[in-house]
Amino acid sequence: MADNEKVSDELKLIIFKLGREEYGMDILKVQEIKRMMGITRVPSTPSFIKGVINLRGSVLPVIDLRTRLGLSETDLTEAARIIVVLVNEGIIGFIVDEVVEVTTVNTRDVETAQTLSGGLSAEYISGIAKADTRLYIMLNPDAIV
Amino acid sequence: MIDVNQYLGIFLEESREHLQALNRCVLDLEHEPSDLHILDEIFRSAHTIKGMSATMGYAEIAELTHEMENVLDLLRKGTLTAHTDIIDTLFQCVDRLEQLVEEVANGQTGGVDVSALSAKLASLARREIAPPTEMKKPVSVADSAPSTASRMSLNDTETEMVRTAISQGLQVFELTIGLRQGTLLKSVRAYMAMKALDEMGDVLKTDPVVEDLEKDNFGQEFSVLLVTDNTSEKIQETILSIAEIEKVTVIPFSPSISTITESIKDKASIIAESSATMGPADKGREQKTDPGAAKNKGHALLRVDAEKLDSLLNLVGELVINKTRLQQIGLSHQLQELSEAIEQMDRVTTDLQSVVMKLRMVPVSQVFNRFPRMVRDLSHSLGKEINLIIQGEETELDRTVIDEIGDPLVHLLRNSIDHGIEKMEDRTAAGKNPVGEVRLIARHEGNNVLLMVTDDGKGMKTDVIKQKALEKGLVTKAELDIMDDNDIMKLIFLPGFSTADTVTDVSGRGVGMDAVRTKIEALGGVLELDSTSGQGTRVRIRLPLTLAIIQALLVQVHEETYAIPLGSIDSTINITPEDIRTIQQKEVILLRGQIIPLVRLARSLGVQTAAGFGEGQELYVVIVQAGDHKIGLLVDALVGQQEIVIKSLGKILRGIRQIAGATILGDGQVVLILDVNALG
Repeated sequence: MADNEKVSDELKLIIFKLGREEYGMDILKVQEIKRMMGITRVPSTPSFIKGVINLRGSVLPVIDLRTRLGLSETDLTEAARIIVVLVNEGIIGFIVDEVVEVTTVNTRDVETAQTLSGGLSAEYISGIAKADTRLYIMLNPDAIV
Repeated sequence: MIDVNQYLGIFLEESREHLQALNRCVLDLEHEPSDLHILDEIFRSAHTIKGMSATMGYAEIAELTHEMENVLDLLRKGTLTAHTDIIDTLFQCVDRLEQLVEEVANGQTGGVDVSALSAKLASLARREIAPPTEMKKPVSVADSAPSTASRMSLNDTETEMVRTAISQGLQVFELTIGLRQGTLLKSVRAYMAMKALDEMGDVLKTDPVVEDLEKDNFGQEFSVLLVTDNTSEKIQETILSIAEIEKVTVIPFSPSISTITESIKDKASIIAESSATMGPADKGREQKTDPGAAKNKGHALLRVDAEKLDSLLNLVGELVINKTRLQQIGLSHQLQELSEAIEQMDRVTTDLQSVVMKLRMVPVSQVFNRFPRMVRDLSHSLGKEINLIIQGEETELDRTVIDEIGDPLVHLLRNSIDHGIEKMEDRTAAGKNPVGEVRLIARHEGNNVLLMVTDDGKGMKTDVIKQKALEKGLVTKAELDIMDDNDIMKLIFLPGFSTADTVTDVSGRGVGMDAVRTKIEALGGVLELDSTSGQGTRVRIRLPLTLAIIQALLVQVHEETYAIPLGSIDSTINITPEDIRTIQQKEVILLRGQIIPLVRLARSLGVQTAAGFGEGQELYVVIVQAGDHKIGLLVDALVGQQEIVIKSLGKILRGIRQIAGATILGDGQVVLILDVNALG
């Protein structure tokens, strides 16, 4: 019983940067991480939808996370990546500035989003994870789409 | 129980198939009550269902089909004639069976009572069992020829052999050899007959197969298909010289289904002459291939999960993309050997693709099949008499389209029958044939399939449409005033429009035409409607043959590339900025004296552009058919024509009006496919 609890207590997060802040996302939702590639713009879509990419023969939409979360836009660098995520509606790509690492946090160290006040719309955030001295804003990909 | 469950899927599927066949055949029987061929088919279907359901332990289904068989058997023997009462009972049986099968599918039991129907069938069977009629043996031709004709079914190879033989001037005969009642060594007699035949020519096929003949595994008769240069008299003589062979019929055999159908028809007409109960000939029937004959093609069929076909198609799609990529590499590096190899591969992939596409093609008859019954029931309940004529039901369409097209067609047919065709008195008063005519036609038209629903009813009156649209607040008086008849006709496609004076359970719920059009457009099709007051209405649906791989023209709009389905392109022309004129602040061009609205793609697709054109600059316009009118799409350059694999944009991006989908080019680039209907 104790062992079981231990396992379910752990949460593996993929950590990525948008600007100077570090964000996390449940790694179980992440399918793969791609380098930036040619994105085809799709007309008549909201500005945060950058367009569509070709992922081994399937076409999937790509969302610019910065724009989506209302952060200021900057030029993407070489470090920029597309995180391919499985959400309720299908598979989607998120453009992030940089992918940092995969880390493990304890669910006890995750606080609910309500305690956070700030510019970010709370519905996109599933919580704040603390690991050592760092804070990760945990995103809920289903809400973002 | 687990054993049975394993076969449940197959049981359900086959039962449904047979029920559909039953529905169709009983309907045919209603028009040709003494057609033995139809009766045979009904009997076969009922019998199969009976066997399957008994094995699976569904007693009600087995019981009902058993009683049906009894009645059908009497019909076959001619001791009972298929009058209205029997037909209605048979229809009730089919309905009840459908309910029972659906119960099985839903895991319920006992909700449907069959005892009343069974009793009715039994009484039908009893009532007429006593007096044998003169129908027993009408004409000897009718007795033997059709049953043998339907017996022989050939596979492709055999059909080919028959063709070859005929082209070489040889004769192909179908022999039916009957042994004397009580013959002891049937296999020996059969062997002797076969030996004699072998000497006279080549035996192509026997029914039953030779192994069964050798094992005595047949009744009193067997059939042989013989290629020979002897005359039929000679063959007859030789065979009859063998002991214990009572009779032999020799009829010339032709591989085409139509001749088989013809012979059945001849027989039908012979019987018709001798039978007073024959109903009026159904004109629609002339157009149909005989159901039995079509079934008798004799191909080995294989049930395949549709999903497997889909994934196969996806893989072929990938292959096509990669092939295009290789082609580009070969071109850019000018590698002669590679190019040759790719050319071969190109041929193979093209073949592969067409085979896979064909696998997914199903005849529209799959959808059309249920309409005759529907029309019959509808017209009865509305007190109208309607002749439904179906043409081109063998036309094939992609399975995905077939699955979706049923509901819109039901709507259109219901509209025609309920709103279109007038009551019999009104028709007579208008000097029309009191029997209304509704046609459902399918045919190929270039790269499209055309489905047409026409009726010779009262047509649509623009006044009525105008008034209805006003009442419902769909348009204003001012808007109506500037509309021409064509525009007014289109009002019926508006959501919430329904012209029926009274809402019946048949149609008129106000979801009609708007839902139909949405569906057709979602399938990449176009819907056109024209109607002449007093003469009828015609709805034309143009559908793409397939939704998966199409030919498209790639065009450049500044930095972006878009694909336009070739099927909707009328032509491409070169113009200069001076050719663009304005009418009511809208840009138009003239094409062969026709005014065509111009759509600047860059503008409507929101492409970032440097404004303005230089004087005399060459511009390209792609003229496309959007709905029932043409529009010109202004582009920067034409890239070329290419075969593209249509990919969905997925749920998240669904519903973008101007975009029908996406495709991936050989270089991996994603290109969007334009929905020209939405650009107009």
